[in-house]
Amino acid sequence: MVEALIKRNLKTHPQLNFPDYKSSRLRAPKNKKISFSSTSTEISGPVFKKDIIGKLDNDLTLNFSKNNILPIGHKIIVFGTISDQFANPIEGALIEIWQANAAGKYLHHNDNNTAPVDPNFAGCGRYITSSKGYYEFITIQPGPYPYPNRGIEWRPMHIHFSVFGKSFGQRLITQMYFEGDPLINSCPMVNSISDKKAKQSLISTLDTSRYNTKKLLSYKFDIILRGTNQTFFENRKEGL
Amino acid sequence: MSDIKTVLDETPFQTAGPFLHIGCLPNAINIEGVFDNDLGVKPFANKHYDKFITITGSVFDGDGKALDDIMLETWQSDENGVYSPESGFARFVPNSLTKKFNLYTLKPGFINNIDGKAQSPHILLSISSRGLNMTLNTRIYFEGDDLINDPLLSIVKNSRNDVSSLIAKKIDEDIYLFDIFLQGDKETIFLDI
Ligand SMILES: [Fe+2]
Repeated sequence: MVEALIKRNLKTHPQLNFPDYKSSRLRAPKNKKISFSSTSTEISGPVFKKDIIGKLDNDLTLNFSKNNILPIGHKIIVFGTISDQFANPIEGALIEIWQANAAGKYLHHNDNNTAPVDPNFAGCGRYITSSKGYYEFITIQPGPYPYPNRGIEWRPMHIHFSVFGKSFGQRLITQMYFEGDPLINSCPMVNSISDKKAKQSLISTLDTSRYNTKKLLSYKFDIILRGTNQTFFENRKEGL
Repeated sequence: MSDIKTVLDETPFQTAGPFLHIGCLPNAINIEGVFDNDLGVKPFANKHYDKFITITGSVFDGDGKALDDIMLETWQSDENGVYSPESGFARFVPNSLTKKFNLYTLKPGFINNIDGKAQSPHILLSISSRGLNMTLNTRIYFEGDDLINDPLLSIVKNSRNDVSSLIAKKIDEDIYLFDIFLQGDKETIFLDI
């Protein structure tokens, strides 16, 4: 008996071909992906050790600051848990995040937005989840930003997330949005997901219970990676 | 084994966007001093270089343009077909001038699958970029290897006549070419892993 990944439900994921998101037109493959049950290749994966994470890696307000000058904008906490589809917390998951600064500008040579760079903010962070699958980042509220799509459109405020679980088949790259942002509903990238509940699951919620303990607004964003099932293989059935 | 456990929905993907380097490869775009090292720069840091192969290629969009604002990741076994969590992962981008990527790595061995059957040597390759609402996955097999009995290639052959987009061409001693076509006549076969 081995642990195989449960099949991915593509109905809760974005459509690759989604012409409202213009960049997808020349990049999204037209043919259907080939499905198959997990092999040793997908159920294994790299595991990153906690010692790769520096002390300030999850504090984006300090990890690029010069002479202790804080970046502009309001400081927030983004936290949550990583678990699998059976609600088992995943310890040791690597989360990498990247985001625009408070003005909606990325520290990147391809960002043509005219908003200012913040010399004290790089916009990257990483963390490895603790035993209960918990993670936490301290950062600056990212600004919304304009980008060319069908004319100029505006991205809702968001943070990009890249996650490694225990196997390569659990690998996830996504974006977290902020509760109450009026730009979410018209965003073609959000709307490439047709399932309402799935869409909603990308919107972090303001956690008012933390008002008293932390002097920062806290947004909660829980992430669910694929689960594994115990699978019987025909040629081994008798022995089990 | 319980069948009544609730299965939660997986968090959906979203595009990695054009600025993914900031989070995944900051040192590569000169954001220095935040992370000591970018991850996956060397898939096998402790192995001997004389055994390494080079896999090179480009990723083409529907207009036949070679892309450079993408991120590739690979996951593979060692030369004996063994997966180990400490090594075998690489992360890289195409060169901005040549638009070619180069993966310098061990050639994987035949891999024992979970059902006891052997898989032919291969590398799992993923592509993330703006315009891709989900990360794409495919596999790199190698020209010259015994591919007849590979279980995944057999499954692919049930629905596709031509599996050559999954096979890297040997273009020189220890050098393989693996071009990826996102669309068009030569569209690469992608996998729902
Ligand atoms: Fe973004």
